[in-house]
Amino acid sequence: MIKLFNRKAKALLLSLGIALTSTAAIADNVKIALIPGLTADAFYITMRKGAEAAAKAVGAELIYQGAAEWNVGLQVPVLDAIIARQPDAILIAPNDKDQLIEPLKRAHAAGIKIITVDTFIGNGVYQTGKGDADFPMSYVASENVLGGQMAARALAASIGEKGKVYVSSLKPGVSTLDQREQGFREEIAKYPNIEVLDTQYNDQDPNKAAAQFQAVLGRTPDLAGVFGANLFSAVGSANGAEQAGVAGKVKIAGFDAPASIVDDLKNGTLEMTIAQHPAEIGYFGVMAAYAVITGNPAPTKIGTGFTVMTKDNIDDPNVSKFLYTE
Amino acid sequence: METNNKQMLFLTLTKLRAWVFLALLLILFEVWSHTIYGRSFLANPYNLKSLAFFAAIPLLLALGQTFVIISAGIDLSVGFIMGLAAVISAKAVAYFGAMGLPDFPAVMLGIMVACLVAIIPGIINGILISSLGVPPFIGTLGMYGVARGAAFLFAGGMTVSVSNSILKWLGNGLIMGVPVLVIIVAIACIISHFLLSQTRFGQHTYAMGDNKAAADRAGINTKFLTIKIYALAGLFAGIAGALYTARFSAGSAQAGEPLLLISIAIVVIGGASLFGGSGTISGTIAGALVIAVIQYGLVYVNIEPFWQFIAVGIVIILSVLAEQAQSKLWGAK
Amino acid sequence: MARDRLEIKNIAKHFGPVKALDGVSLTLKPGECLALAGDNGAGKTTLIKVISGVHPATSGEVLIDGKPAQFSTPQQAREAGIETIYQDLALANNLTIGENIFLGREPKKRLWGFLPILDRKKMAEAATNVMKNLEFHTDRLDSPVQAFSGGQRQTVAIGRAVHWNASILIMDEPTAALGVPEQKKVLELIKALKAKGHSIIFISHNLQDIFEVSDRIVVMRRGKVAGERQIADIDHNEVVRLMISG
Repeated sequence: MIKLFNRKAKALLLSLGIALTSTAAIADNVKIALIPGLTADAFYITMRKGAEAAAKAVGAELIYQGAAEWNVGLQVPVLDAIIARQPDAILIAPNDKDQLIEPLKRAHAAGIKIITVDTFIGNGVYQTGKGDADFPMSYVASENVLGGQMAARALAASIGEKGKVYVSSLKPGVSTLDQREQGFREEIAKYPNIEVLDTQYNDQDPNKAAAQFQAVLGRTPDLAGVFGANLFSAVGSANGAEQAGVAGKVKIAGFDAPASIVDDLKNGTLEMTIAQHPAEIGYFGVMAAYAVITGNPAPTKIGTGFTVMTKDNIDDPNVSKFLYTE
Repeated sequence: METNNKQMLFLTLTKLRAWVFLALLLILFEVWSHTIYGRSFLANPYNLKSLAFFAAIPLLLALGQTFVIISAGIDLSVGFIMGLAAVISAKAVAYFGAMGLPDFPAVMLGIMVACLVAIIPGIINGILISSLGVPPFIGTLGMYGVARGAAFLFAGGMTVSVSNSILKWLGNGLIMGVPVLVIIVAIACIISHFLLSQTRFGQHTYAMGDNKAAADRAGINTKFLTIKIYALAGLFAGIAGALYTARFSAGSAQAGEPLLLISIAIVVIGGASLFGGSGTISGTIAGALVIAVIQYGLVYVNIEPFWQFIAVGIVIILSVLAEQAQSKLWGAK
Repeated sequence: MARDRLEIKNIAKHFGPVKALDGVSLTLKPGECLALAGDNGAGKTTLIKVISGVHPATSGEVLIDGKPAQFSTPQQAREAGIETIYQDLALANNLTIGENIFLGREPKKRLWGFLPILDRKKMAEAATNVMKNLEFHTDRLDSPVQAFSGGQRQTVAIGRAVHWNASILIMDEPTAALGVPEQKKVLELIKALKAKGHSIIFISHNLQDIFEVSDRIVVMRRGKVAGERQIADIDHNEVVRLMISG
């Protein structure tokens, strides 16, 4: 269902984009700002490329400004500086779903259209007329529940649809990771011969993720697979597998796809990884912004897709094009 | 006036509390494992190897922290110095490799560069604290930010991956069944123990931590000593960073971020006082094992993960209470 | 007549416009205990800091055994045989008696012929001997000095000076922090040290103590010597009069 909706939304926007390009003269000098969750991160750099492509297509100017770290205290001043420049729209990956509401309200009050990308404010459901965080026009992001489902299907296939698996994650309360885990658990429940063990949280310490893998394997010698809900968790678990001498036997599925992932896939450290499509997020974000600036409707929620990468398909240009650029 | 036997026993136990904790934990998990799995926790080479491997890098960071805390200081910057060294070693090894050097010299040079870079913030910490009178908490907090920023800048905000067979062996290889990483950390422990217990450097560190005025009056150059101590902490953080890169074939600026507080917890559980003047390397080793055993053991016996935090917290509190009971006993004289 | 062990001539020490010492001269003979008295701020502490190398003098001369000496660090003073015992003892309470005696001057030996390590045996032996000489018997040479009483720790501080063969001991309020029985013990110790030929500069607020152990007294007032007497020729009232009005 979600997928179907996504396709429709994309089709709509793409046609919108093309249609608007031809009438670009109507809206001259459109300024759109993109504020990433943090700069110099492959995910957001790739998102920026997609946004730039869209901006070029519609003849808008794209401003890219952000903080070096994931930190509300650093992101808000950047946002305020951007507001001062009076863009027509701001695309932002808010660093916090509550603390960014007030600062973004200021932008909204200044007549700037807000679109959140990757992360959201409030509950991520906008334009409902309810609550104080419904003012953004659209939320463009990977459908993380879907990503978790894809990971579940791919991991299940690689372990022969039977055995024990667990999820390795950073810490509870990170919305995107929780959604991936939710999707994974929902989908894996459809396989009667697969048992899901307790989730292990590693606090962004791959050393701990490795030790947790070894401890789980120690008590569960028939462990078949691990879903690392982010790259740190996957790489740490894979290192634990290597230490325990079961690399390649216990299958590790990861999430995200920086360029370095190619080696991990090829040497069997990771069985697969679920690549998000950040360029699409940037592209559709700008398109949605342009639509609302020019008085056209845009979906309040746009979910982008994923690509499952394995060592068998990573050399295929149709797959490798989704590696994040650095 | 003489200490009676009961007090002596109590003092010995508080001094060795980290080993007492460790023994109790091991007994607990041994019984637990027998009860639910019908097999031994300890007499299981797999578990021992996993624990040693798990404890190694945090222990390395804690070794440097031990000297600092004994000298009545604290080093909040070691986590990000480790991250900086992780990034630098990844970049440097890749650079020397790209220059055409074979794997082995590329790794040696790369790690040397990373360690040299890591010593610099340590030296600056020492100068800030000893010559400019900045409190250690504030001085190293400043360096925490500087090292963090520098690490992210060097890394361009990304994980820097590097491919080198020798580096990978250092991080993941085995020598006669023992992980190389564990051997390296064991050597670092022996050297640290030697420095602390058998040299003037160690002796003066204890003296300065207890009574800086006394150390000054005894003619000890406490400024230079302070610089040496923080430089050593930087060096250990540098080695930890390089080993992190070796282990994951990639350096990350936040490599040591989760380990900063752990390194302090290890030293405190190991029996050092945050007021300075006490602490041992053997205690720190036990402290690192205590934390590793709790975190590993609770996963092993399949307990809800959040209990780990509670368990580590309780051990820290018990440890500090034991420390206070100990100083009260001394003070009573 | 024996040569003076220590002679200071016309010492001045200025901190900016403040003249903490203004032309102080005094002598100290071998085996003599010289009391230094004076109100707070009279310059006693500054004077001993100049003698022990903590502060360099602004002007003036220090002679040891007739030879000019100028110390810019406490170590230099110590090497010339001047040891200072502070009121707060200056001991590292976490170290043993032996380690405190040797603090900053630890003996070394070579392990396996090449690796230099601390010679703990030598430190412990020296501690036993020194403490025995000071009538302080303990078998707890492995205990940190925090396990001992205040008087015992004062004995350790004095023992350190004795071990390093100090010809001149400067004692700054050595009895101030002690209980009465322990004060007595330290005073006995000072007498014993005198008898062994050590020269002592004894600073105290307690006139009783001064009259018990000293041979001579120098009273200071506002950075100057207000008076100097043999102990036999002076009484309490006279000392107080000198301290107050010069």
